[in-house]
Amino acid sequence: MEVILHNLLLGFQTAFEPINLFWVTLGGILGTIIGMLPGLGPATGVAVLLPMTYAMGPTGALITMCGVYYGAMFGGSRSSILINTPGDGAAIAATFDGYPMAMNGRAEAALAISAIASFIGGMISVIFMIFLATPVARFALKFGPAEYFLLMLMAIAMTSSMSKGNVIKGFLSMFLGLAVAMVGLDPQSGVNRFTFGSLELQSGIDFLTVIIAIYALGEVFKCFKDIREGKKKMQTKFGKIWITKEDWKRTWKPILRSTPLGFIIGALPGAGGTMASLMAYNNEKQLSKNPEEFGKGEIIGLAAPEAANNASSVGALIPMLSLGIPGSGTTAVMMGALLMLGLQPGPMLFQNHPDIAWGLIASMVVGNIILAIINIPMAGALVRVLAIPPKILYPIILGLAFIGTYAISNSVIDFYIMIVFGVVGFFMEKAKIPSAPFILAIIVGNMMEISFRQALLISDGSWGIFVGSPIAAILLALTVASVVLPFIKGHKFFNRKKATIAK
Amino acid sequence: MLFKKAMTTMVAGTVIAAMLLTGCTSKPTATNGNADAEVKYPVKALEFIAPAGAGGGWDTTIRTVAKTLKDTKLVSVPMPVTNKPGGGGGIALAYLEEKKGSDDIITVYSPPLLLINLNGSTPLGYKNTTPLARLIADYACFVVAKDSPYKTINDVMDAIKKDPKSVKVGGTSAAGSMDHLQFLKIAKAAGVADVKEVDYISFQDGSGPAQVLGGHVDLLSTGIADAKALMESGDLRALAITADKRIGEGMIAEIPTCIEQGIDATFINWRGLFGTADMPEYAVKYWQETLKKMSETEEWKAACKTNGWDNIYLGGEDFVKFLEQENENNKVLLEEIGMLKK
Repeated sequence: MEVILHNLLLGFQTAFEPINLFWVTLGGILGTIIGMLPGLGPATGVAVLLPMTYAMGPTGALITMCGVYYGAMFGGSRSSILINTPGDGAAIAATFDGYPMAMNGRAEAALAISAIASFIGGMISVIFMIFLATPVARFALKFGPAEYFLLMLMAIAMTSSMSKGNVIKGFLSMFLGLAVAMVGLDPQSGVNRFTFGSLELQSGIDFLTVIIAIYALGEVFKCFKDIREGKKKMQTKFGKIWITKEDWKRTWKPILRSTPLGFIIGALPGAGGTMASLMAYNNEKQLSKNPEEFGKGEIIGLAAPEAANNASSVGALIPMLSLGIPGSGTTAVMMGALLMLGLQPGPMLFQNHPDIAWGLIASMVVGNIILAIINIPMAGALVRVLAIPPKILYPIILGLAFIGTYAISNSVIDFYIMIVFGVVGFFMEKAKIPSAPFILAIIVGNMMEISFRQALLISDGSWGIFVGSPIAAILLALTVASVVLPFIKGHKFFNRKKATIAK
Repeated sequence: MLFKKAMTTMVAGTVIAAMLLTGCTSKPTATNGNADAEVKYPVKALEFIAPAGAGGGWDTTIRTVAKTLKDTKLVSVPMPVTNKPGGGGGIALAYLEEKKGSDDIITVYSPPLLLINLNGSTPLGYKNTTPLARLIADYACFVVAKDSPYKTINDVMDAIKKDPKSVKVGGTSAAGSMDHLQFLKIAKAAGVADVKEVDYISFQDGSGPAQVLGGHVDLLSTGIADAKALMESGDLRALAITADKRIGEGMIAEIPTCIEQGIDATFINWRGLFGTADMPEYAVKYWQETLKKMSETEEWKAACKTNGWDNIYLGGEDFVKFLEQENENNKVLLEEIGMLKK
């Protein structure tokens, strides 16, 4: 304990050096901008900065990269709230209630709560990380292929059964997503599936392309209609970026509940922010007394995933720092950078380079505070996006969508894929089929299949492995419950309503 | 009105920033319209390609090359690295084919260049590139968790001989690619009769070390760099490396080779640089000379040491011959596990 505090103090000395303060601020601002642009997530941001960081020395480089990483997490939801276009997977959940809030004229509160929830989620997670990194890392090791499969199954089952509207449509959307996830090289045997001889399709369909298609293009398509019918209104008066006391009273508990959830999911290698934020959203919807308010601009529905998202980005650093195993795309790039700088991430990093390891942790605290401070005024400027006439705003969104898509893998075929999915998204919206299960299924579908097959290879084909450990059994039980419960609940609701009508 | 103006400026700025970030700025094109016999090369920015995501072996290698060339001032034009992941390197290979004949694209490959062609993932292969130089060698190592019952590589092989399903082997490459083959090559040399029966589980997201630590697989077939941190901390134990002699220093030098343990086989994970097919002659000549010079610099030697690589430069014709030989060897091995595309 004393050792930890002593080291942390050393870390703060490093973090508070003016040059490091400068780096973390710069990284944070850059990251926020990168995070807002569709298609450019934290991984791209960190990768683009790599060459710059060679000149900085290890501490500065790591601190800047972390600034970009958090900045992107803060920024990702800005575009979700304002233009219904998530910057990356982790910001999808922020569109559910964030965008309706903005449409209801509460964009200021939405931007504020998103920054506040991100800040609290990030701060608490750093504290968790300081004291619980080792036990959490050891816990994550208990997750083998079977447990990963069940975790992902639970996430998509929950998202499908909790999505707005009808449960059957939720599952329909999920199965469509799983089908799209099949495209590409079979990960175990290398057989081509649904590639129709195209080499570009071998690597599968990137979920970011689909997100940009469904949200950015979908929004543009929708607006063609709205603009013509003169439905689309611009907001011209703006209030202060802050929330009311009432908002805070309702959101602090969901924020505190979602933080540990996000943190643990983040610490599981491969699970990531998308799952964390969607699970936090589902969780709050299930606990809520008014679940029907979710999706219509319920502030809790924005606060919970935002907290979970930032908590998971801190959690994702745990496998990298304590085991030397990257927990996400972004941490993989950061690890590559550390190796290039001559540092070996892993259990020995804290012993061999305590200044760097603890400097990093301290700079997370500092970075979080700085990001919260710069994000409020930045939100004040950004909210004016709503004042741009749709005829100017939507072509810009369209342009950004194409740039973002090209950025994903520098390939032109992604444009066609994006246009196809934009149309698919438009008709899904028309048919009131929720898009979240579709996208989550594309994100985890591949990993789910891989884990499933890995698990069965390990167990020599025995299905017992899916109840073989306590974690597996609990996850399976939760999955079954999440599918069955809405049906029972829906049934009761139905009855009660009928009864009142009869009276 | 003022707001509108400010907003437009801001958005325009963002678009420009995005374009810069994504490299949408005009790509340099070869200037071989020059009638002079002496072609000035390189004059414009080059395009370095890592055929995989950031952080892996290919990515580290090409970034190290770019950094060394810059630090030693051997090349003075910018050398930005682009990642083109997918298809085990096949996507980048398709891109090279598309850009056939350009003089400004340099990429890195290793045994999977041959394997993805032989196992049928892609019709393209090393013949669709211009091999420039072999630079380094990495070796495979086989690691187990610290509390594993297996103490030597022969313990593992004995268990496999008794029951090929009893040892679950994990790795990062896809089935039929490097991590899989390197283990089977050693297993075959150790006298395992039916190597096809050994289960190989691929963890392409890089979670292999976590899986062997958590006891979900029994052994991990990997590269030294990937397991180094956990070996140093004592969480993982290396049973053998596939070099012909002990390598590196400190803890790495303590890992016995397979040959020492009576298994007469080695596996080299070579990495080299390639240009596009039909790369203009002046560019080929330039790179062969430059890379040779680079491999002799102190900076390169130091970089090899930190990464645990062997400096095994081999240029031009010899490299092509080496590739032909390797291709034949791999064909035999893939044939045996039934993964050769006929």
